[in-house]
Amino acid sequence: MNTAGKAFLAAGVVTVAAVARRRRRTPAVQQADRWLVVTVNRSPDDVQSSLPDDLARWRDQIEISIRPATGDKGTELRAKPAGEVSHDDVRLALRKAKAVLEAGEVIQPDTAPTHPGPMGKVLQRVTSRAGGGGRL
Amino acid sequence: MKALCWEGINDVRVQDVPDPQLLNDQDMILKVRLSTVCGSDLHLLTGHIPFMQAGDVIGHEFMGEVVEVGPGVTRHRPGDRVVVCSFIACGRCWYCRNELYSLCDNTNTNPAITQHLWGADPGGIFGYSHAMGGFRGSHAEYVRVPFADHTAIPIPEAVDDMSALFTSDSAATGWMGADLGGVKQGDVVAVWGAGAVGQMAARAAQLLGAERVLLIDRFDYRLRQAESVFGVETINYAETSVGDALLEATGGRGPDVCIEAVGCEAHSTGPQYVYDQVKSKLKLETDRPIAVREAIYNCRKGGSVFVLGVFTGVVDKFPLGALMNKGLTVRGAQQHGQRYIPMLLDRIASGDLATNHLATHVMPLSEGARGYELFKKKEDECVRSVFRL
Repeated sequence: MNTAGKAFLAAGVVTVAAVARRRRRTPAVQQADRWLVVTVNRSPDDVQSSLPDDLARWRDQIEISIRPATGDKGTELRAKPAGEVSHDDVRLALRKAKAVLEAGEVIQPDTAPTHPGPMGKVLQRVTSRAGGGGRL
Repeated sequence: MKALCWEGINDVRVQDVPDPQLLNDQDMILKVRLSTVCGSDLHLLTGHIPFMQAGDVIGHEFMGEVVEVGPGVTRHRPGDRVVVCSFIACGRCWYCRNELYSLCDNTNTNPAITQHLWGADPGGIFGYSHAMGGFRGSHAEYVRVPFADHTAIPIPEAVDDMSALFTSDSAATGWMGADLGGVKQGDVVAVWGAGAVGQMAARAAQLLGAERVLLIDRFDYRLRQAESVFGVETINYAETSVGDALLEATGGRGPDVCIEAVGCEAHSTGPQYVYDQVKSKLKLETDRPIAVREAIYNCRKGGSVFVLGVFTGVVDKFPLGALMNKGLTVRGAQQHGQRYIPMLLDRIASGDLATNHLATHVMPLSEGARGYELFKKKEDECVRSVFRL
């Protein structure tokens, strides 16, 4: 493996290990029970009256709570999966809802390179799921 | 179209890539006129930032002419001459509303990567890895500009293309270091790094009222350039003890504000350089924070340190004791360009701020690989290579 490959591999291992460590530390019950939250820079009334489709379509499978954010930072839009919907799906829906409410649309990624190479393909698989991962 | 692509470590080549398309209503397509290399690109070239794919178009500091706008763009139209901030900003999230544009909540399409690495995701940036959104860069004939109303800024007629180019990133970054570093009338300011960002930070400090500005580097040609263009004082750290020189220049106090404009692959002359090289090779630290350590150590009691250089992960021997016991304020940021670019363009127009001397090597995009080679190896007194398209 060349130096680039080693660098990619090292970064991937570090990131995966960090996620795994965090998951090991978090009891499953606590993870399932907690709210996933984004803060939207709009008033609670605005958020309540114009909940974007990305989130509204899950309404029968998630609990939704809307409350003012502290310090005049807008509105906390909270969602908790209650049915078959996954945490990743809810995270992605919350992020999209926030983007639509704040900026009017969800920014689309640029088209991927045509010849990413083996390590680039691995990275493409990671980034294809990145919208629903991460911390919320 | 032609574009300069990252093809692997220390391997950039001009390739044919598909033309960009409007993907969102608030996008526009820009015909790039000028695009410059940046010191932070070198971290991509060396593989220091590993989230790259072969074929990624690099480049993030640029200006050009609008050729197509989406239906949601209201501030620009085809034919307009604009400079584009390297950070993409939605303009409406809490961070953008508070002029912290590089922290935009809505522009990083891959938030999970940096959320795991840093706890939260900064905004998206052109041509700067898939950790920062994977957007195509500006070393290309055309580039898609998302959220164009908030990411691109019109260039006044009185400002030429080359001068405007450097407001895209280096001048805005430098100004931010002096501004958020808290430079006040009568201050003594030390700046580590005499590249484009460091020179711009030094000039910003002068314009914000600093009485003395000292610029630190190891390349005489860069120090001479800053001396002649801006009249700053200089310290060559390869020849002079930085600590002694700063104490002498400040009556034994140390600088009021220290600005670091070097980044994660810093050089030095002492044993700590060897130490950091070994640690980073063994992956026991990701970055070499030599200039940050020096800035914290040499700053006056109660002073301020601002970190402008790009860092990626964790460092060793961070002088937390000096920070705490001297009562320092330490801040850092990627650039909030939208906050400064209009003002910088006005200052260029009025003659307050010179930037075009930074373009020491202007060449066509077809010579992109040579441009990076000159820049990386500091050959032929290169400060910045600029590609004309």
